Amino acid sequence: MNERWGTSRQLGRRDFMRYAGVMGLGASGLLAACQQAEQTPPAGSGSATPTHPPIEEEAGDLRIYEWLGYGDGSYGDDVLWREYKKAGYPKPKFIKTFEDDAGFTKVAAGERYDIVHPCAYRFEDWVNLQDAGGSPVMQPWDTSLVSNFARLNPALQGFGNFDGEQYFLVADWGFAAPMYRSDKIQPEDTWGVLFDERYRGRISWWDSLNMLITAAYLNGVPDPWAMSDAELEAQRDFLISKVPLVKTFWVDDPTPDLVNGDVDVAYAWQNHWWAAVGYGVPADGVPAVYMDPREGRTSWYCGFALFADTENYHHAHEYVDSWLSVPSAEWLVNNYAYGHTNTELDLSTVNQDLVQAFSLDDPSVLQEPKSHPERAIERRDVYNELWLEVKAAA
Amino acid sequence: MAETAPDVEGATRDSSPARSWPGTLGLLAAPVLWLAVFFLIPLLVVAGYSVGILSLFPTDAGANLDDWSRFLRGDSVYMALFWKSIRMSLTVSLIVVILAYPLGYFLALVAGKRKYVLLLLIIVPFLTSYLLRVLAWRVILGSEGVINSFLYSAGLREPGDPIAWLIYSQFTVILVLVYVWVPFVALPIFVTLENLDSSMLEAGNDLGANRWRVFWRVTFPLSLPGVAAAFVFVFIPTIGEFVTPSLVGGTKGTMFGNAIQSLFTAGLDWQIGSVLALFLVAVVGILMLISGRFLRLRNLETG
Amino acid sequence: MDAAASPRGRRGLFAFYLLLVLFLYAPIAVLMIFSFNDSRLVTFPLVGFTTRWYGLLLENQELIEALKVSAIVAAISSFLAVGLGILASYAMVRRRFRGKAVTSSLLLSPLVIPYVVFGIALLILFRAVDDFLIPRFGVFFGLGIHVVVIGHVVVSLPYTILTIAPRLERLSSKVEEAARDLGANPASTFIRVTLPLLVPAIVSAYLIAFTLSFDEYAIASFVAGDVTTYPLFLYGQVRIRIGLPQMIAVSVIVLLLSMVLVAGTEIWRRRAESRLAV
Repeated sequence: MNERWGTSRQLGRRDFMRYAGVMGLGASGLLAACQQAEQTPPAGSGSATPTHPPIEEEAGDLRIYEWLGYGDGSYGDDVLWREYKKAGYPKPKFIKTFEDDAGFTKVAAGERYDIVHPCAYRFEDWVNLQDAGGSPVMQPWDTSLVSNFARLNPALQGFGNFDGEQYFLVADWGFAAPMYRSDKIQPEDTWGVLFDERYRGRISWWDSLNMLITAAYLNGVPDPWAMSDAELEAQRDFLISKVPLVKTFWVDDPTPDLVNGDVDVAYAWQNHWWAAVGYGVPADGVPAVYMDPREGRTSWYCGFALFADTENYHHAHEYVDSWLSVPSAEWLVNNYAYGHTNTELDLSTVNQDLVQAFSLDDPSVLQEPKSHPERAIERRDVYNELWLEVKAAA
Repeated sequence: MAETAPDVEGATRDSSPARSWPGTLGLLAAPVLWLAVFFLIPLLVVAGYSVGILSLFPTDAGANLDDWSRFLRGDSVYMALFWKSIRMSLTVSLIVVILAYPLGYFLALVAGKRKYVLLLLIIVPFLTSYLLRVLAWRVILGSEGVINSFLYSAGLREPGDPIAWLIYSQFTVILVLVYVWVPFVALPIFVTLENLDSSMLEAGNDLGANRWRVFWRVTFPLSLPGVAAAFVFVFIPTIGEFVTPSLVGGTKGTMFGNAIQSLFTAGLDWQIGSVLALFLVAVVGILMLISGRFLRLRNLETG
Repeated sequence: MDAAASPRGRRGLFAFYLLLVLFLYAPIAVLMIFSFNDSRLVTFPLVGFTTRWYGLLLENQELIEALKVSAIVAAISSFLAVGLGILASYAMVRRRFRGKAVTSSLLLSPLVIPYVVFGIALLILFRAVDDFLIPRFGVFFGLGIHVVVIGHVVVSLPYTILTIAPRLERLSSKVEEAARDLGANPASTFIRVTLPLLVPAIVSAYLIAFTLSFDEYAIASFVAGDVTTYPLFLYGQVRIRIGLPQMIAVSVIVLLLSMVLVAGTEIWRRRAESRLAV
């Protein structure tokens, strides 16, 4: 069994300790956040840290490797960093081809930027990434330079903390759960709806190894993010037995299929649901429900990371600080239906359907047991291969 | 018989060095050099990853042939996907060439003066993004798409009871791939047929042979180089094709190319990914070596 | 040409052509309809008529920039691919040498390499070269349009060869020999005799290479550096979906421009013909 996957990376015990540290830090961070609430360190103080020249000496030509629509302005989203703009800093250059997997691959192959915005299942990989000379590619943030840090959800920031260093400033989050056409089916609140014989040929799965994890939560596996070979194979066999019920695997978006009537239920993120219901305007969409299954939704979160060889250390901190502000949170939630990590967002400015659907008024909704935050999967290549086996058996 | 037709052969007699300029080396220098630097060297990089000499993480095992042996032994999902892709590609290529031939024939020999415009007309849709055209097919074939809506309104089917296999099925994959390739493939066939010596065809007619015989005995054999080129045009790239299958194939759309893609991105296992990619190149390279004669890319025997 | 088909055969073939054109343009027609649909989702039922997507895209600087970039990349890489393709085809068809099978294998092998793998390998290669050059000489290649062009030439070359070589083979070398016998030097022979006869193949090859490059995503996603090509832009828009109708509007405009090109060609051809007839 081990021989079959002998090529998987051996990361070892260090990473287990990291996870333990994260959990502990999350709890203590909560306490610390309560105490720090009134203290906001001056932003851009201009004093040089030992290794970084002061902000006046930086060129300020930030190169940000980002998701489309996360600051480049395609959808008016440059308001996400409006304070940075108002402060008169030079406009950053956005390289918009970022996707988690391909983006990591590019950087691993040698590309360098100033800031990048990966998601949590890859956090580990980014931290471990080294260049040809053996030095790390990323460096942690200096949270004292980020004035909004105290306002951020501490549990989320805990996930971005490795070895006591804040490698990631977690900025946005979301859920994954089944969404279904309420005018066509009325299922129980369980992930099992995606595997239900009654909806044969009307189901859509995400084309991702995350389906193995979904199956694991349904089947009561204790830790779906770190399954043993036996558990993994059981989930794979379960999925293979259920795949004849599936109409399609979606790659970018399950919403058109749901709206079109090709499927009645799909694995979805909350922005997909929001689009399906017409962005809150019923006439623009279809009746759809974003389920809160009894086994719990899973959640994803993404954050900013800093490159070690950046020449714009202070500008980077300024930029990220403005992204993490309350006005940015309001814009993000209202326009993309994504969650934002700033806990001081005034919820009366947010569409109330969204507040209710995602319990935006409850910061603990992002933690166990209410939902399952995603974690790095150590044996990701094994999960991936098993998922390929499921797809090939279809 | 085709070999002995004098005027239309194009084979050169052995040109003495003094008369042939630039020499073979001069002609081949630029293309081969370009490929050597910008294709072979990257291939070497891939080869390095495939045996672990290069690797993504320093903690990975060193040089080894584990993934090569695992793959070639056939006990992984990848080999099965490879054969699945070969089968799909063969099916699509045959259909495409069969459809493209009459198209090329029409344009080259029947369309007369308008042939270039008519040819341009079928090429023009390709400047529209491939992705959008595939998305549009989803709109046409979907449960409440163009075809099904028409059937409902014509009373031929009950609303809510669509023809489900139109979308997200094996049929969809083949349909869309054929859609994408037919005009492209018609081009080499067109180009080959276009210069057909009409006097030969007329001679055949004058001698009493009916048009079909003339076609099978004269036209078709002469167009074979174009047909072979056309087949290669579509067959080889389609083996690695995965975008269309994954967008419209539903659960049936997983191909060898998907595996390679996911190994380089989601799965982050560059070693086995490189093995698969190199295998593809090697298999096709060998295939082409063997069948090089059919592509007529060397002198014909009359030389 | 009567010898090629009987009158019934001609009608049948023409009907076949028309059916194919219908088949080819069906999705295009769908796209056109949705470019005026007043909804972000590309699904039925249609919501209402609007031209706002066209208005929005004309203000979309990023999009226009991306289109320009892709047009430049496609134009240059196709030109190079056709040039190299002519050279390679000429050598393969008109010359004898050992190792032809191997050479033709090499020339056609880029057909099969998965573009994702090739893009990654190119990225690694160019970064390694820069890592070597920068400390020593202070110069670098960098990534960007030039690398995309390089990659596109590699993958277009087999297509140009496959289009040009069979045509070259059909051309009788006797015409060339005759021209040389009459004293024309090889270069002049090539330019004034061979090349004009090759024009349809060259134009076809250029078109194929151009459409391939204009729509190519995978390689560009790895080596375009800070530059955005149209497929890269489009792909991102499709994923986030908010910009999808604008993209559809773009494709309709691109299509209309090409139709203008086609119509222009036909008019030009008729003019040329009527002039020749005089």
